[in-house]
Amino acid sequence: MTHVPFGLVLRSGQSIFDQVVFAAQKAFLSGEYRPGQAFPSVRALAAGLKIHPNTAHKVVQHLIHERWLEVHPGVGTVVAAAPKARAGDRQRLLQQEVEQLVVEAKRVGLRLPEIIQAISNEWSKIDRAREVKEP
Amino acid sequence: MIVRTDDLHKAFNRHEALRGLSIAVEEGSAYALIGPNGAGKTTTLRVLMNILKPERGSATVLGVDSRRLTAAEFSQIGYVSENQELPARLTVRQYLEYLRPFYASWDRKLEDSILEELRLPPDIRIGNLSHGMRMKAALACALPLKPRLLVLDEPFSGLDALVRDEFMERLLQQAGEMTILISSHELAEIEHVATHVGFIDQGRLLFQDSMVELTGRVREVRVTLEGKVVPPAAVPDGWLQLAVAGNVLSFVDTRFSEERLSQSVATHFKGIRNVDVRPVALRSIFTTLARTTRDGEG
Repeated sequence: MTHVPFGLVLRSGQSIFDQVVFAAQKAFLSGEYRPGQAFPSVRALAAGLKIHPNTAHKVVQHLIHERWLEVHPGVGTVVAAAPKARAGDRQRLLQQEVEQLVVEAKRVGLRLPEIIQAISNEWSKIDRAREVKEP
Repeated sequence: MIVRTDDLHKAFNRHEALRGLSIAVEEGSAYALIGPNGAGKTTTLRVLMNILKPERGSATVLGVDSRRLTAAEFSQIGYVSENQELPARLTVRQYLEYLRPFYASWDRKLEDSILEELRLPPDIRIGNLSHGMRMKAALACALPLKPRLLVLDEPFSGLDALVRDEFMERLLQQAGEMTILISSHELAEIEHVATHVGFIDQGRLLFQDSMVELTGRVREVRVTLEGKVVPPAAVPDGWLQLAVAGNVLSFVDTRFSEERLSQSVATHFKGIRNVDVRPVALRSIFTTLARTTRDGEG
């Protein structure tokens, strides 16, 4: 039985790479992986998620490049302190992603309080997960 | 490149199955050859395995012309095909015993663990196995030789989800140690295992790229201007499916980078109010690229 490094069910149609990168970032933000903690090796990541080792390698390289992970020679890859957002990241989230969410919400007939509630739930879910892991 | 074809042509009577196919497979990659039925996938793989001879162009496998492949190369190649003939009267065990001495690299322990993992009954005649079991048996015959190159022709067609998972899981365990060339008519089937993809249609390559590059370089873009959009006289390289609606221009950028896009937008338009950039689902990337390259637009 292989250990699954983090909660992730791969969906079809979206790039595997993007999905794994997203799941890793979520795991960092929710404290599932804390700064200083060892990150799974490429081999463990590939086996756990059932993806090609080259894809797992690309994910780790990307996370290192984005400064989520640090390479400590002799130790391996460890989780870094959350990196600073790039200029434009916040603005993009507030404009495009929120717009997309609002349009989709209106399409399926949700009301504003319901959306706000859902966002607030998700927000505290990640915060709570973090608190549990960092008492 | 562990496999390369250049301007490959192959016809069956009057039907041209391959019409100038050029693909390149990097060592260590898992290259998925995707295309609709009749695109020429099986013909390509059969040419590469020297089962068929091309009329024109060249194909090299492990650095050797496909027409000159010998035991020295074949002992490093595993081949599993949907319509491969296996000796029906032998049991799986007997067939493995037959194969073993041909391969110096054969790993007996690996053979045993593969049989167990795939839950293959070793003492049933191959002719009496179901299609799914037969495909698993073919894989069990190819993996223990620890091939440098594994060629899989539509391995998943006709397999149920459970068998497909077993097959895939076993394949992934050795994926890092070899190059895989796998054909399929269904992208969703092989996206887990593939690191590279080549899309072929009517005997020609429409595009090939690494999966990561492919998803990274395609974006849906909407540019909103203060006034009406006048489409640029010369459309920048890689912009496809341009559409104008009032003061909004939308297109698919197939050579996206943040810097490049903002530069081209700034040189072509004035009074930019907003630029909206979105990633595109893998499936849409495929249909967009396939359609536009086929129509000769890209």
